[in-house]
Amino acid sequence: MTYPADPLLDPVKIVNWAIDTGLFDIAYSSWGWPLAEVVHFTGLTLLIGTVGVVDARMLGAFRGLSLPALHRLVPFGVLGFGLSAASGVVFVASSPDQYLYNPAFQLKMAVMALAGVNMALFYATTARKLARLGPHDAIPRAARWFAGISLASWLFVIAAGRVITAFRPPAWFWCGWCS
Amino acid sequence: MMSALAWLEQTPPSVFMREDFYAYFVALIGHAWGMALLVGGGIAICLRVLGVARGTQLAKWRSLFPVMKLGAVLAAVSGLALLAGYPAKALTNWVFALKFVFLIGGVWLVAHMARVSFSKGVEPVGLVKLQAVLALALLLGGVAAGKLLLYTNQMLLTSDAQFETGLGVTE
Repeated sequence: MTYPADPLLDPVKIVNWAIDTGLFDIAYSSWGWPLAEVVHFTGLTLLIGTVGVVDARMLGAFRGLSLPALHRLVPFGVLGFGLSAASGVVFVASSPDQYLYNPAFQLKMAVMALAGVNMALFYATTARKLARLGPHDAIPRAARWFAGISLASWLFVIAAGRVITAFRPPAWFWCGWCS
Repeated sequence: MMSALAWLEQTPPSVFMREDFYAYFVALIGHAWGMALLVGGGIAICLRVLGVARGTQLAKWRSLFPVMKLGAVLAAVSGLALLAGYPAKALTNWVFALKFVFLIGGVWLVAHMARVSFSKGVEPVGLVKLQAVLALALLLGGVAAGKLLLYTNQMLLTSDAQFETGLGVTE
């Protein structure tokens, strides 16, 4: 089966890049893909265990835990995201057609983008107002919204990642931007 | 043992888990969420014991335990559903047992740290911090073992026993 032409992303170029950089050989070595999966899920767990805890606190859970102090967990969440993103690049670069044209992967990326925009808006508008909150102070409504969107987004990202294998192209080919 | 596994594979729940388009993926999602809550909660507590977010009272971190319990229940129920679909895949693989050893050990250590140290109102030192490092390693080892199940299984079904396969049903 031949895919429609993709004016934005070229899977062949991506694979060639993976081959040139050695990522392809690493991914398809006997240990590469399993190791990348372990790193990917370790990162996601770290993300949920840190950013998820901060989000839940902003939603009103874990009362008595100071939010500004709890915020020191966030760099570990960034580390978790970095681990997941780096291992995710190994997956996508080594088998781009299976991800780029997969509706579950596209949704996962879209929701990750939403989480990113949500985080940027949170830090631009609301984060400073929380810096002096005490352990029992009420959380502002805006912060609760940002936290709810963040937590729901990351749980959705996990769910979408789990169903990527249900929509394997070419059986489930979807490319809204292809000609 | 193989005859018992072969019988299990023919039970209605097992057939349902393999043949229904949604069931396996619903269980996979539930398992991922459950593990994220269980292990994620444990990681957060371990990080606190190691000195991150020092401005928070240790005793208050007990409020994460209900989240970990919810995660454990979700992971167990969905795990049983996944096990029902492919019992031979898991029960003939020693990595499956290793996953349980790691997770039970990690969760037990987190609970032990909380029981012994959280009420004292002093920052953990020495042995307690070592326990936190070990608990972190065990919890993340449980995640790793869970992912490696797919690459270490000898068979998916007892009917596949004559074939040696490293291929699984999920990524």
